[in-house]
Amino acid sequence: MFCDEALEVVESIAAGDLIADGRIAGHLETCADCAAALESARRVERLLRQRAAPSAPAHFTAATLGRVRRARWQSDQWLDAGFNLAVAAIVVAIVAAVWMVLNRSGLAAVSGDAVHLFGSGLATFADRVAPAVPLYAGAAALLATALGIWWWAEGKA
Amino acid sequence: MDPATERALVLRCRAGDDDAFRELVDEYKNLVFALIARTVQDRGRAEDLAQEVFLRVHRGLPYFRGEARLSTWIYRIVANVCVQDQSRGRTHVSLDDERTSVRPSAADPQFRDLELRDRLEKAIARLPPNYRLLVAAHYLEGIQYEELAAALQLPLGTLKTQLHRAKQQLRRLLETDLR
Repeated sequence: MFCDEALEVVESIAAGDLIADGRIAGHLETCADCAAALESARRVERLLRQRAAPSAPAHFTAATLGRVRRARWQSDQWLDAGFNLAVAAIVVAIVAAVWMVLNRSGLAAVSGDAVHLFGSGLATFADRVAPAVPLYAGAAALLATALGIWWWAEGKA
Repeated sequence: MDPATERALVLRCRAGDDDAFRELVDEYKNLVFALIARTVQDRGRAEDLAQEVFLRVHRGLPYFRGEARLSTWIYRIVANVCVQDQSRGRTHVSLDDERTSVRPSAADPQFRDLELRDRLEKAIARLPPNYRLLVAAHYLEGIQYEELAAALQLPLGTLKTQLHRAKQQLRRLLETDLR
């Protein structure tokens, strides 16, 4: 029975948290098993104290900050996508509401003329703009390339 | 780091100052890495998990109310990351694993010590995750008992009892090898 009590405190004795009092000290002197357990506990304690504490690798800070930047960029992308979707949904809802109001109030028939007028205006505008289309297309391609490079660089950072 | 400097650093981080966050990583990286590396063994995995800790710190800083020390909060994140990682898949490590064991010449005391350390690491790997973290943290310079208890949200007495049990389990795992 006393061995159980002694074995319960060998870790504390080995760690220096407890000083073996007369009764336990006496038992440890006479009981070979408990003395061996104390010796094992002391070895474990010594090995634990000598255990290496590895330092972070040299590139750790840079790699961590890169990972944080990537995570922030990804979360911004999600936020942007959510915002764009919300705007698109609002535009669709407004168009649908306007269309329903026009339909119910009978203004749709009148608006047919307005649509025709708008269409012919658009055609005239397209005729005038057509000669400059290659120039606009080139500028748009340049802008798209710059945006693509920026997106790629952000992804790599 | 004293509490006032710590508060100022947190405020700068929360204001989006990237240099402040770099300072924070530099300040805690060695402790965080050592703590994780002692718990998960694999250095590459430890690096990945340590980065994960700082990612969570970065995400959580806007919500950090400063009621606990910054270091205590970081250790709590380390504990969560380690426990989550270990609960994902735990492989049984044998103390006699042929693939990784050091096979020293029995007569050489230096090799004998190396073998003991090797067996100790394997024995630690067989401890339950919370015990493993306790053993890793307790013997790491710079982490106080009180701070560890606060990080793990345990009363100080419970923490000491668990540490005691962890060492008892370690001794029992190693006992036959040490004698």
